[in-house]
Amino acid sequence: MTTVHRLLDDAFAGVEPTAEVQDLKEEIRANLTSRAAELEATGAAPADAARQAVDELGDVRAVIAEAADPARSPAASSPTSSSAAYASTAQAMLANKVRPRPAFVVSLVFAGASTAALLALTLLGLSGNLTAPVGALVGWVLGAALGAGWIVGSSVAQETTTNHPVPGRRAAGYGLAAGLVVSGLGLVGIVVTDGPLWLTALAAPLLVSGAALFAGLGATQTNRKKAWFREVTAEHGTVGDRFDRDPEAAARFGILTAVIWVTAFVVFVVVGLAGGWAWSWLAFVVGWIAFMLLLAKMLFGGPAR
Amino acid sequence: MQPDQSPPAEDAFSADLLRGHTDTIVLATLRRGDRYGFEIYKAIRDATGGAHEIKEATLYATYRRLTRDGLVEAYWGDESQGGRRKYYRITDAGRAVFRRNVAAWRATRDVVDTLLTDKEPRS
Repeated sequence: MTTVHRLLDDAFAGVEPTAEVQDLKEEIRANLTSRAAELEATGAAPADAARQAVDELGDVRAVIAEAADPARSPAASSPTSSSAAYASTAQAMLANKVRPRPAFVVSLVFAGASTAALLALTLLGLSGNLTAPVGALVGWVLGAALGAGWIVGSSVAQETTTNHPVPGRRAAGYGLAAGLVVSGLGLVGIVVTDGPLWLTALAAPLLVSGAALFAGLGATQTNRKKAWFREVTAEHGTVGDRFDRDPEAAARFGILTAVIWVTAFVVFVVVGLAGGWAWSWLAFVVGWIAFMLLLAKMLFGGPAR
Repeated sequence: MQPDQSPPAEDAFSADLLRGHTDTIVLATLRRGDRYGFEIYKAIRDATGGAHEIKEATLYATYRRLTRDGLVEAYWGDESQGGRRKYYRITDAGRAVFRRNVAAWRATRDVVDTLLTDKEPRS
């Protein structure tokens, strides 16, 4: 096996050992070792196996040179990277524009309108402005969940100007997760507004499995940004909102968001227990307003001093 | 570049044509699960019956390009002995590009088939 390492050192001789070059060397080393082991398994002598593995490798000088100096590589101007020539992000955006499919837009408007209508009906029913039996409320919630799930799933499955579509099964997973969470939240809403308590047994598993599905999909999500967009972002620097540019602001936003919602929830419970549940939900309305003001201020506010 | 010597008649295979689709072929080998370089190389070699292969040197350049474009992600395995292996995982962007390239290849292949065979084109 020592021969593989010696031959590899020869191939990398005279190249400045930057981290990227070392990375490439280790990668090639592992592959050569595997190939040499395969040859030895067929009965070759270790030294011959190593020699043959390195011979089969081919000419890696170009790859090594590129790893040593990525900026000066021929691959940087390969035909796949056509966007390098654009002067600005806006120009690149225009050249790579993907129009949404008309059928998708029409169905999105339809699904959005029906989901919003069902949610409005549910809220009216929950607040007592509309007398509705529990069965109807549950039906509206499930209808809204179906709509929300469809909107989320079909949206991530669309190709956009900057994003590739999410594969079908994962998109369906995102839709299912959204539907589960919305239906779970809706049923919780029915329970806390004097609905039958047994609905909790239905709501809890829906909420938990929806959240778990979201977490699982989020943890395994891989890149879906298009190559031209990655290149333009690397070249022209900051694109996107303040949270992309300023992770500290994003962290502060996360903490403040948690504070707002935990406070709203505590106020909701305290007011509900002390003064009755009829008006305690106002705590969430106040929390929502505070949250939106915070979002507007932090996301679109000026850069950090 | 000098013109290649004409291949023997029984060797009806265009290595150049294969090389032109290296990116898509590598993406195809990663669709069923993560692999490291030698596994990818072996999958391609075995698929062509061992007679033809894409040079490993070519593959390293391909891995770098695919990684830069966000079509695959690389990560180091945790082998306890021997060198650590660099594994590649296909991303959602990689799957989308793969699907598009396969569709383009099929369409091109059909046109070439139609043009190269004697049959009258279907009307």
